[in-house]
Amino acid sequence: MFQIFKEHKGFSKQIFLLAKNELIKTYKGAVIGPFWAVIKPAFTLFVYWFAFSVGIKELGDVDVAINGEFINTFDRFTFMIVGFIPWFFISDSITQGAKAIRLNRQFVTKVNFPVSTIMTFTATARLYVHLLLAALMFLYVSLVSGVGVSIYNLQFFLYCPLMFIFFVVLTWSTAPMSAFSRDFENMIVSIMSGIFWVSGIIYSSYEFTSGFLKYLMLLNPINFFANGYRNAFLYQRWFFEYPLELIIFLVEFAAIFVLGIYNYNRLRKSLPDVL
Amino acid sequence: MAQPIISFKNVSKEYILYKNEQERFKALFIKPKKPKINKALKNVSFEIHKGESVGIIGDNGAGKSTILKMITGVAFPDEGEIEVNGKVAALLELTAGFSTEMTGRENIYLKGYILGLNDEYIRTIEERIIDFAQLGDYIDQPVRTYSSGMRLRLGFAINVNIEPDILVVDEALAVGDASFKKKCKDKINEIIKSGVTVLYVSHNENSVAEVCNRAIYLKKGQLMFDGDIPTAFEKYKEGKAKK
Repeated sequence: MFQIFKEHKGFSKQIFLLAKNELIKTYKGAVIGPFWAVIKPAFTLFVYWFAFSVGIKELGDVDVAINGEFINTFDRFTFMIVGFIPWFFISDSITQGAKAIRLNRQFVTKVNFPVSTIMTFTATARLYVHLLLAALMFLYVSLVSGVGVSIYNLQFFLYCPLMFIFFVVLTWSTAPMSAFSRDFENMIVSIMSGIFWVSGIIYSSYEFTSGFLKYLMLLNPINFFANGYRNAFLYQRWFFEYPLELIIFLVEFAAIFVLGIYNYNRLRKSLPDVL
Repeated sequence: MAQPIISFKNVSKEYILYKNEQERFKALFIKPKKPKINKALKNVSFEIHKGESVGIIGDNGAGKSTILKMITGVAFPDEGEIEVNGKVAALLELTAGFSTEMTGRENIYLKGYILGLNDEYIRTIEERIIDFAQLGDYIDQPVRTYSSGMRLRLGFAINVNIEPDILVVDEALAVGDASFKKKCKDKINEIIKSGVTVLYVSHNENSVAEVCNRAIYLKKGQLMFDGDIPTAFEKYKEGKAKK
């Protein structure tokens, strides 16, 4: 039942070693190496900011109201950067996470290896990049944007680990399934580009006032994290101040956890045969 | 009688052959109704005790590598039980599990962790491994810069220096140039003499007889014979002739 936890026991050193290896694999061999980790997201951010602030002028500042309660007005760039930083991690976690087992097939087919740690070490490598980007974001928000520092910022240490765990747990299902069928992997990658637009990254997911859409947006766990990061850095709100959002997230988390354990245990033993 | 170090109890293994990718995708959600199945092992049982040297013989596709994969913990049976009590060193896929971007030294640790060793123990065998692999200063270079011979040497050196309880050897093992080959052979013989349990896969009667005192003959996933070597090879030849 809890095979995944057993596999992780005593493997922390190896996870860190392999996470480091993942980073080296990704960034070594390029002239400016690790800077790509910053340049790529910075460019994406710039393009979206340009399109939505300069291109479509009416989308200038963002007025944020949660359940009718006005929070504040933020300039679009500040608002976007706090949503994009978790988004970069999330989007990579979903697409790269699904490929984790297939890309590391040598650990499955050649040696006796705790397969579930593959998803953990690849996610750990992404977490390093995320922490770097989050630090840059924090510098921008606190020093440049005019929002400043507050006690609410500490919630980063809640949202960030939670986000890491949530998306690792998600890969317990997606990575073995993608290893099993390439179609499943392609399906996930195709869905992802659409997911962006139904997540509140460049707009506020609280913007919808009509009943149905308002609740529909709460079902998307990506919104929970984008809003969470904004709670911590922009809105100056605590994570429990919107209980319904928190409860829906926790229920989804539990469901994904159970599904993850089920899918991993079901497919683990056939992985060496299909890879 | 002492507890066997390796025991297979009615072990069967099937590989499901999917007709196409659609079938495979469907199988993720619903069990395939009439899947095409390749039976790699059929109801195989045997026990191997500590200190025994057992040869595994049979044609390609007889199930030899499936058995070895199960002993090394890579593959799993569909039916039956497998018990392996001890550290297994497999001289099969020597370079498996290497990270090419990491240095040779880091890979020693990596491989050590995979085999369940701790830092302290790896430190004690580290120099021995480097020495045996004859890598010199290259040990702190990334494995990606190694020649294939150097990689094999490192893989071999790690596997034989971890003081295994069970050694799995494939005769078709390639380890580079003649002088290192001899060194490997000597090392394998040394390990065998030290009383380690050995599983030896080969087609060659002479080399099996040299190393082993018992042989298991497999044919199309079935265990045909388990016993002394001359009889095993007699049956093997008979089985071939019948085909």
